Amino acid sequence: MKIKSEFALRKAIHSWMVLPLGANNTHLTSMLTLNETGAMLWRHLEEGCNRDTLVQALLAEYDVSRAQAQEDVDEFLEKLQQIGCLEEEKDGAL
Amino acid sequence: MLCKIAELIADVPAADGLAIRCRDYLYDGEDSADIIIRTEFYRPGVYGSAPNPEVVAYMESAYQFYMELVKHDGFYLHSSAVVKDGKAYLFSGHCGVGKSTHTKLWMETFGGDTRIINDDKPALRKIDGVWYAYGTPWCGKDGINLNEKAPVAGVCFLKQAEKNSIRRLSPSDAMSRILGQTIYRLDNEQLLDYFLKSLLGFLEQIPVYELENRPEAAAAQLSFETMQV
Repeated sequence: MKIKSEFALRKAIHSWMVLPLGANNTHLTSMLTLNETGAMLWRHLEEGCNRDTLVQALLAEYDVSRAQAQEDVDEFLEKLQQIGCLEEEKDGAL
Repeated sequence: MLCKIAELIADVPAADGLAIRCRDYLYDGEDSADIIIRTEFYRPGVYGSAPNPEVVAYMESAYQFYMELVKHDGFYLHSSAVVKDGKAYLFSGHCGVGKSTHTKLWMETFGGDTRIINDDKPALRKIDGVWYAYGTPWCGKDGINLNEKAPVAGVCFLKQAEKNSIRRLSPSDAMSRILGQTIYRLDNEQLLDYFLKSLLGFLEQIPVYELENRPEAAAAQLSFETMQV
């Protein structure tokens, strides 16, 4: 899966934020703020990757259990899906 | 119709009410336009099925001007800008929070030369290291604007409350508040980078507050005493 190109991740002062681009972009009516971890996952998704890659990335960076990492990734993906940041998958699966 | 707005030469289409709105900004000098507002890029569909052409012209010319302003060290803030003793104070917040009410209270409370230079969308620009607020033709439903500029003393977000109190916002809070009240969907990443560079510079220089307030003179007194520089 992949982030749509009409969103941009930028450094805010103590966090990261996702801003919509283009006047016709109807997604993301309020700004999305991400912490360092969220920003790291976002960058992976900009390149395009699957759920397992994200879980691996979390496990590599943080001292968390696999179950916890999977839960965090699912929660993150669900949030992005809700606000329309992810390209539609052909089979509809995350 | 050439106008000089926020020290930029803008070519604004005169039709649909803009000639009247821009009458104090006409430019008859020799310089060519920095910004050209194009009716062919108006997006009437954004304003419903049978939009009023004057509303479309007003909103879309504002949109194009403020999108271009980002390339000239500036952005707008959805706010009412009041000038007192030569300094501009900007009161911001969502629609209906009492921006215009608060700046009218300043005029009633302080009198003298206290005046509103833009009641809805003042332009902000950094010129030679100083941030100025500008009157522009895009100033809200009551048409309150003056073709003047003043250095910005501060920004204050308003919140209705039972009693008056004011606090300084952290730069990080200030940034997300300002992002909620300015141009939002920039056309491309380059414009976004120009804009964020301006905004971060603005936040380094300009204090941002939140005023919880009742619509009364004491609230105007409190915001002025706290923000005056």
